Amino acid sequence: MLEQIFDNFAVERMLLWIVLLPLAGAVVNGLFGRFADRQMVGLVGVGTIGLSFFLAVVAFLRLLDMQPEGDAEFVPLQYSFYEWFSIHLRGRAVPIDIAFVFDALSGVMTLVVTGIGLLIHIYSLGYMSHDRSFARFFAYLNLFSASMLVLVLAGNLPVMFIGWEGVGLCSYLLIGFWYETPAYAAAGRKAFVVNRIGDFGVLIGMFILVAVAGSFDFASINHSSYSGAFTLAGWEAGTLATVACLFIFLGCTGKSAQIPLYVWLPDAMAGPTPVSALIHAATMVTAGVYLCCRLSPVFVQSPVAMSVVAVVGTLTALVAATIAVAQREMKKILAYSTVSQLGFMFAAVGVGAFAAGFFHVFTHAFFKACLFLGAGSVMHAVGAHGDADIFKLGGLRSILPRTHITFLLSCCAIAGVPMFSGFFSKDEILLGAAQLGVASDAAFLSPSIGWFVFGGLAIAATLTAFYMFRLYFLTFTGEYRSAGASDGHGSEAHGSGEHGYDASPHESPASMTGPLVVLGVGAVCVGWLGLPHLLPFTGAHLPHVWGEWLKPALAHVEFTPAGGDPLTAVNIAFIAGVSAMAVGIGLAYSMYANKSSDPIASGAPASLYSFLQDKWRVDELYAAVVLRPVKGLARICAWIDQTFVDVLLTKVTSGLVTLSSFILTRAQTGVMHAYGFVMALGVAGLMLWFWSPHPDVMPVVKGQNVEFTAGRGLGYEYRWDLNADGTFEVPSGEHASSTFGSKTFGSETSASHRYTPDDFRGFILVAAAILGEDIEIPLSEHAVVLDPEVLGPDWQVSGDAALPPAVRVEGNEVVIRPNSAAVYARGKLVSEKEVRLPAGSRLRIGQVPMRIAPVVQATLEVRNAFGNVARETVDVTIDVAAPAGARAEVVR
Amino acid sequence: MTDSLFHQPALAEVLLTVLLGVPLVTAFAVLFMPRQWPAAIRRLSVSALVINFVLSLWLLGGDYTGAEFQFLEKVSWIESLGISYKVGVDGISLWLVLLTTLLTPIALYASWTSIQTKVKEYALAFLLLEVGMIGAFVSLDLFLFYIFWELMLVPMYLIIGVWGGKDRVYAAVKFFIYTMAGSLLMLVAILYVATTYKTLAGQYSFDLEQLHRVVLPFEVQLWLFAAFALAFAIKVPMFPFHTWLPDAHVQAPTGGSVILAAVLLKLGIYGFIRFAIPLFPLATQYVGPSVAALGVIGIIYGAYCAWVQKDVKKLVAYSSVSHMGFVVLGLFAMNTHGVSGSVLQMINHGVSTGALFILVGVIYERLHTRQLDSFGGLAKSMPWYTTVFVIVTMSSVGLPGTNGFVGEFMIMSGAFLSESFIGFGRWGRLLTLFAATGVILAAIYMLHVVLRMFWGPLSKPEHERLPDLTAREHLVLAPLLVLVFWIGLYPNTFLKRTEPAVQTFLSDFNTKWLACRQNDAERLLRPDPAVPAGGPAQPKQGSPSKQGSPSQQGSPSKQGSGTAKPSSAPSRPVAQAGVPGPAADTKGDPR
Repeated sequence: MLEQIFDNFAVERMLLWIVLLPLAGAVVNGLFGRFADRQMVGLVGVGTIGLSFFLAVVAFLRLLDMQPEGDAEFVPLQYSFYEWFSIHLRGRAVPIDIAFVFDALSGVMTLVVTGIGLLIHIYSLGYMSHDRSFARFFAYLNLFSASMLVLVLAGNLPVMFIGWEGVGLCSYLLIGFWYETPAYAAAGRKAFVVNRIGDFGVLIGMFILVAVAGSFDFASINHSSYSGAFTLAGWEAGTLATVACLFIFLGCTGKSAQIPLYVWLPDAMAGPTPVSALIHAATMVTAGVYLCCRLSPVFVQSPVAMSVVAVVGTLTALVAATIAVAQREMKKILAYSTVSQLGFMFAAVGVGAFAAGFFHVFTHAFFKACLFLGAGSVMHAVGAHGDADIFKLGGLRSILPRTHITFLLSCCAIAGVPMFSGFFSKDEILLGAAQLGVASDAAFLSPSIGWFVFGGLAIAATLTAFYMFRLYFLTFTGEYRSAGASDGHGSEAHGSGEHGYDASPHESPASMTGPLVVLGVGAVCVGWLGLPHLLPFTGAHLPHVWGEWLKPALAHVEFTPAGGDPLTAVNIAFIAGVSAMAVGIGLAYSMYANKSSDPIASGAPASLYSFLQDKWRVDELYAAVVLRPVKGLARICAWIDQTFVDVLLTKVTSGLVTLSSFILTRAQTGVMHAYGFVMALGVAGLMLWFWSPHPDVMPVVKGQNVEFTAGRGLGYEYRWDLNADGTFEVPSGEHASSTFGSKTFGSETSASHRYTPDDFRGFILVAAAILGEDIEIPLSEHAVVLDPEVLGPDWQVSGDAALPPAVRVEGNEVVIRPNSAAVYARGKLVSEKEVRLPAGSRLRIGQVPMRIAPVVQATLEVRNAFGNVARETVDVTIDVAAPAGARAEVVR
Repeated sequence: MTDSLFHQPALAEVLLTVLLGVPLVTAFAVLFMPRQWPAAIRRLSVSALVINFVLSLWLLGGDYTGAEFQFLEKVSWIESLGISYKVGVDGISLWLVLLTTLLTPIALYASWTSIQTKVKEYALAFLLLEVGMIGAFVSLDLFLFYIFWELMLVPMYLIIGVWGGKDRVYAAVKFFIYTMAGSLLMLVAILYVATTYKTLAGQYSFDLEQLHRVVLPFEVQLWLFAAFALAFAIKVPMFPFHTWLPDAHVQAPTGGSVILAAVLLKLGIYGFIRFAIPLFPLATQYVGPSVAALGVIGIIYGAYCAWVQKDVKKLVAYSSVSHMGFVVLGLFAMNTHGVSGSVLQMINHGVSTGALFILVGVIYERLHTRQLDSFGGLAKSMPWYTTVFVIVTMSSVGLPGTNGFVGEFMIMSGAFLSESFIGFGRWGRLLTLFAATGVILAAIYMLHVVLRMFWGPLSKPEHERLPDLTAREHLVLAPLLVLVFWIGLYPNTFLKRTEPAVQTFLSDFNTKWLACRQNDAERLLRPDPAVPAGGPAQPKQGSPSKQGSPSQQGSPSKQGSGTAKPSSAPSRPVAQAGVPGPAADTKGDPR
């Protein structure tokens, strides 16, 4: 029992260490690597990722161990480190934890990242051994591993995004690793910026997902997708999923090099070859597929998004394959091959075959890493810098035996030779597309999408087999075509190799061939994990380990075949897969085996060939359509800023000041009589103001008493008519009153009066505001319908016919017709048609307390020293208590 | 231990005055030092500023979980006009004060060697500048705020105009007049609000808390908001009032640029948060989305302008316009994480852009040029410099794990998810969409700089032997780098102290907005029964705590210390003639 608790704790903590170890390696090598010797750097670099791999294996075994028998829910390993930050949504905090989840999907991916990562780290020990920046390389590589592990293990979107952008950063740093070559540095920048365009999509997608699901956690988002949260009222089902998924998919096209954002990946081959193998083939570029699989329950909510993914994937697979056919450099071919294979994966995701797509991620990681490392080994052997022209190679079969055999195995795997890993995964993808194709029309995706994907992928598979074996034959068979070239040995890092390569190549050291052998074996064997569920023609059932394992992590999509026979699709897919492989390899053999020239270059129309070789001229297109206009816009902005905005706000304003000062200086003429005239005008104005008095009455209400204060001025005298009866009184003060004509004025500036009901001139309904000052509604004989806004919420008795109450004055009382409002007078709900209330009454409508306040009027006359008299009349709302015993009189 | 350290009552009660006093007294001391002692002057002023920073760390000991201002001090100054020396910090100004006290010594120390003329005056300017900046951040009296606001202007004007580059006089005058024009209008607006208060309450007051009670008609609010907003928009600077900034930055010496970018620009946003928005809620609601849209235009426009600049410093200046656009957007999202993100992003921008200006200064000292064309391949000769530059670049670009990301993420999610009634709804989504393109553009222009400066072959062979960062430069940059990762990885240190203040800000805004919506006639809101009554009528009135801070019952009448000393201050009865006040029940965030 105790042991189990300890075990649990330790394993979950392990997830943290899987990430932290490579990170620590990166920090140590980055800070101190340049002072340490290479063994130490290598030990730290390889050791941390090795430990991380070991922990991942332990965690994976624990995960297997933890799973309950039978159909019970899958139990993932989870570890939450701390709360990163939180946002608030609908009054609730949405915390974002640094949380890791190790489940069926991320478990496999973690093993791939750490396992293949470890092999490539080991390979790099040999490959980079001569490089000046050995420590920097390992620091970056470790940092990449850590970021990739964060991406994979993240339990929520923002943490995933740390990894997502982190791998982008490492990719940028590693592509531009040999920064002194401007083209490489530019390639790095291109990768980062293009990926940023994708990241923009991920950001927005993330916001949509959290707005809908109320959480960033993958688990909650996926869970809410089943409960219809992504359906917007009045829109087609899953509209929000469509929008969110398309934005997320934009991010995936960036990271996983799909149309339209694939352009950075071929350029990314500028990085050292181990980087191409690890980042730009095996792990980082599959992150998009991984993310789609993670969010598969959301994706299946939206047929539109699925179709887009399927079509984009298929087109990418096709386009990249055609480009690969016409390339001359090893790594370029492999790069386009990667783009194409990623297209296969997305096509699989798009037709709902998530497990198949992820299976291809898995197998592709092995054979493509092996191919890249093999290419690296070749380049290392012949001293090629950056990339190797296959038309200058050839006949390396006998010179590089280990590289050759692993390369051949991987070529077979990617071409889809039966029983090799790529065969199984590609077959699953074709099967997924075929199943959609033969599905009945009731399927949530259109079967025509299935056929489109199937056809496109079949062609792409043929092309894949063709260009891979073209690469193989030209590199390894025939004669070594650089044998006569000048020697000049050096690794990729500082070799020259512009015209022909090292005349006497040599096999790479064991640290490089060792990983090759491991990966080569993997390229053959890992496919056996995913043996087909149904065997073609025979219909025999095989255990489908892969599909069963991933079932809890992925959305499950099943199509009922229109004919009812599930074997149809299996047969079609099998035939297409095998014949694509056979045709492709056969063509390549007939055209390139033991040859040294390119029959396509001479045979195909020149314009088509150069079009393919120029990569469909997409870079040029983007430069013309996107880059140049945007840059132009930037220039225009900068120009506007200097010549318009700045001028408007500085030159124009200062010009205005200058102008007005010019005008004003004209006024300073120095001519005496002009000054005199202006002065006379001023004096006249002042006189005018003083000529008539200004009463400025200020009433202060104290219950029924009102105190009035008048303004003061030169020789002011006052008389008041406080009860508006037309006769003026002079308050008796200590100052003598004076008589002017028939009127008596006093010098007392204030007067007060106690008002009785006889003085009331009108009524005001005072509604207590929820805050601040009250709202006063003047009343008259004509009924006033109260504004619902004043009444606040809940004023209606019944919800429907909501007519607010009407209020009018009748004699000395106020009559309220409640209509459909809840009017409370004297503590009870008024149920009658109208209620009659005297001044000072308190009532309540809905939640708002009100009172009926009387209005009184007072008039002041002021006389000033010039004998002019001014009069001001003010209305004052006073506060009286309701007359005791006054009852609400009811009108029935 | 830390508790007892932080809760020194004697110091706590006058801490803000001490923070203002240390640089001021040092300035006096420097004034009487002979100008032949530049080294002594440098040492004295930098160490005084460092001490001030250490002292300012005491501010962290306040209780920022509630709504009250901490370290509150109030001394009546001009009684007849209701002007008082009233200072205090909350979870928002706390970080800005710390940013100021951290960056001023850094900026001064960064120009340790580059400033060789008139060292005495230079140090004096920095010391006075710090007084002005801290004062503006802690003032809770509009008059006092205005004085500090203008006080900042003079030293900065001198720093640009005396120690600046070739066109320094033009830049300095432009800076001065721009800022002055805005702040004069603000002064008029302040006076209007204060005189309105006088007519309503019978006496003058410039106390922010009192002026908060003034409700003004919608049109008046619009005009006054415009006056305040202009002053603040120029300071931020928001498009299209930003053109003084590139000039000022390019001409200012490194230290001046650092302070300008890191602290002075923040005063604009701070002004919005503290004054313009709370005082004029109806106007805020009306123009808020437009101001946010200006912010978004600033993001994109600033980024575009930055991209094509040839002068690195000018490029960074335009990038400031872009980054401050994010801050504006988050602020006007008017929800908790939007505003908190804005506050955090202010610190982030201070740290990142401050560091960028220091870095540009470093290379300028070595090569005496800032033209992108003249660099290239510096990674080879200056690896540490390159490393630091790339890290700061990534922070500026907003890479997750660095500070920039957390701020931008909170701001954009705030704008995107804004359900605020201030009419942001769908606009928010659209604005976020545009703002997010700023993320792409930031990568473009910043990586452009990195590419041109560091990658590629060395542009000139003599650059091979350029000295890498010196110990002093390491020391200057180290705290900023620590902050880059600290905020990036554990922002809760900052956010946990800021969020309560932001929530108070929002709920106060909502409360007043509702009151204005109901009736925007010119009037005085009754003092919130939960808010200290203050005011000359009851100068010694006890103050029960505001809602939302259950931890504190009340603060003693002196309100001096930031420590929670529960007192039995008499809670004032809600004596309003005839009207049972439902305010206490409905107060709070209506959303």
